[in-house]
Amino acid sequence: MSLPNFTNFLIEKGGLTAEEVLQVTPFMRTETVANNAFLLKAGEVCSHSFFVESGVLRLYALNEEGKENILQFATENGIVSDRGSVFFQEPSTYYIDAIEPTVVVLFDEAFVNEVAKVNSSFRVHNEKLLQNHIRHLYKRVSLLIGASAKVRYLEFVQRHPDLMLRVPQWMIASYLGITPESLSRVRKALAAENFKSN
Amino acid sequence: MKTYKERQIEKVTAPGTPHFVGDGFRVHNFIPGSSSMQRMDPFIMLDYNSKYNFPATDKPKGVGVHPHRGFETVTIAYKGCVEHGDSAGGGGIIGEGDVQWMTAASGVLHKEFHETEWSKTGGEFQMVQLWVNLPAKDKMSAPKYQAIANAEITKVALPNAAGELEVIAGAYEGEQGPASTFSPIHMYNVKLKTGAKTQLSFPAHYTTAILMVEGDAVINGDTKAEEDHFVMFGNDGESFTVEAENNAVILVLSGEPLKEPIAAHGPFVMNTKEELIDAFQDFNTGKFGYLED
Repeated sequence: MSLPNFTNFLIEKGGLTAEEVLQVTPFMRTETVANNAFLLKAGEVCSHSFFVESGVLRLYALNEEGKENILQFATENGIVSDRGSVFFQEPSTYYIDAIEPTVVVLFDEAFVNEVAKVNSSFRVHNEKLLQNHIRHLYKRVSLLIGASAKVRYLEFVQRHPDLMLRVPQWMIASYLGITPESLSRVRKALAAENFKSN
Repeated sequence: MKTYKERQIEKVTAPGTPHFVGDGFRVHNFIPGSSSMQRMDPFIMLDYNSKYNFPATDKPKGVGVHPHRGFETVTIAYKGCVEHGDSAGGGGIIGEGDVQWMTAASGVLHKEFHETEWSKTGGEFQMVQLWVNLPAKDKMSAPKYQAIANAEITKVALPNAAGELEVIAGAYEGEQGPASTFSPIHMYNVKLKTGAKTQLSFPAHYTTAILMVEGDAVINGDTKAEEDHFVMFGNDGESFTVEAENNAVILVLSGEPLKEPIAAHGPFVMNTKEELIDAFQDFNTGKFGYLED
């Protein structure tokens, strides 16, 4: 299977040469995930991070009423995992499923070790990914606690410009921690502000 | 009479596995499925809903709110009826034989559904949706509609009582069609009687193709084109002949290539990647307006 995005990730971000990518290719594992199929269910121990070669994944929790609360979306070049479950080898409380037919590259400590054998700079990059993720989570918590629906929405579309066209609006609303009606109001208000009728 | 060099057939494509656009359009894709949008310049997408029976329903099927920027959408209704609306306040009904030519240009949000009354009885549905690219200088012009009722379409009797030709855009033998276009395009519905033959000619460098909407025909005297097949011509000559084996309706497309770079992603077709990013940003921040689902 050709993996242009993952290859590019290893070269551009990971600092590998094209030749080094060929050396680690035997260790790459991919999985094709059908729309609505799961990569992780609550109660399972999460074994990998999932790099999205193509498609869209989401990470969500169910609350006590069975409502889905979406924590994260991952599109092309994004990575999603329950890192706590992987590191502490404890059952996850989250679900990861595909909302488009998706191809993922499975990413775990063993793979990082194999790549690091070929090019040690990759370990540094992997650490950077984790720190970047934590930085993003701080920002997300801060927005959820303190920002208006409009600010949350604008930050989201800046980060994921194509998701409004790929994901149902109720999922976006769930991610933003607002109701679908509130998301509609935000979009309507933005249109009133920015739409110049010809 | 001027003699033309024959235009060879480049490819005959059978309809592929259909897919649904929303829940109301069951289409075979021919562009870019059969030939790339670069090869088909200025035609960048063609979805063909071959005859399909939709059952009666109280909830009209279709496609919900979605944006377009940078091109025109042309909907040609052969069977069935579609209702549409957009964020600029436009809207209308496209019935059998009608054509809707929407210039999305700088951007609209729109939705398309089977017409409410038509949905209640359901029935046979057959349509073409074609996307025509806009020259770079017109991509950010104001959106507009041309609702072209069948009665307004120019009808020309073909020589030797072969049948009738509807000129939607461009011209046939000096007879102009009603649609205005941003680059030279000829678009016809050719209705040929069983056994009748006609010849069509366009400048050799024009991208030229036909879709067999109804019936079967023999092209250039030796190649069979069956119903629902798409025939792409080369650029080695001007003219081709079509001989109907039974009563046939043939959509004819011929356009001068724009020869400009194409940056396309989903519903946006621009010239550069930066313009695509702007399109997403403008869509997300309400610059296409708002339309209720």
